[in-house]
Amino acid sequence: MSDAVRLQLEDFSLDAEISALRATSKRVGGIAVFLGCARDFSEGREVAQIGFDAYEAMALAELQNLRAEAVSRFTLIDARIVHRLGVVEAGENIVLVAAAAEHRAPALEACRWLIDELKARAPIWKKEITPAGDAWVTPHP
Amino acid sequence: MIRALFFGPVAERVGARQIEVDFRPGLTWRALRDQLAALHSEAFEIVSIVAVDGRRVAESDAAPLRDGAEVVFMSAFSGG
Repeated sequence: MSDAVRLQLEDFSLDAEISALRATSKRVGGIAVFLGCARDFSEGREVAQIGFDAYEAMALAELQNLRAEAVSRFTLIDARIVHRLGVVEAGENIVLVAAAAEHRAPALEACRWLIDELKARAPIWKKEITPAGDAWVTPHP
Repeated sequence: MIRALFFGPVAERVGARQIEVDFRPGLTWRALRDQLAALHSEAFEIVSIVAVDGRRVAESDAAPLRDGAEVVFMSAFSGG
């Protein structure tokens, strides 16, 4: 089974990640998922691809810390975080956050918390690649 | 030797992902920043986060760097 927290160039399978979570325990009563995708537009411009750069050692450590914090804070059964690096084509997957708990409320709350914290704490940078040129993305609050 | 690393928009503005700087006793990350910012002012305009050996440091952190330290100068994150 693949690691629960990963940075990778290649795409990932939503089904495989959910199956991995379900396999951890039969106590799982709900799984909440956030799947970030590459839009083909931004602020009125066409976006062909999105490029990702990362300080990989620190980013992976931060994501592993986030998973552990989420499991403890929301009493999760397990959680998985996968973020792609390199060039992602418009329409493809970028990031997956999935949280499994006995009940829906902690799973949903953890999922929201995880993606918000990931954006704030993981040293990853996004560049929109457009026909008119490339531009690094300024983070949104 | 101290290794200064850059990623994303900072690396693009510096024109490199790494710069090696001779170690000298007492050198702090802030002194290193000032030294590099004098050469790459446009890049350091967007630096808001600094990590030493994989750990974020505060502006008030004045601990001297060890020989072989890795110092990363980063802009605000935009992943996800």
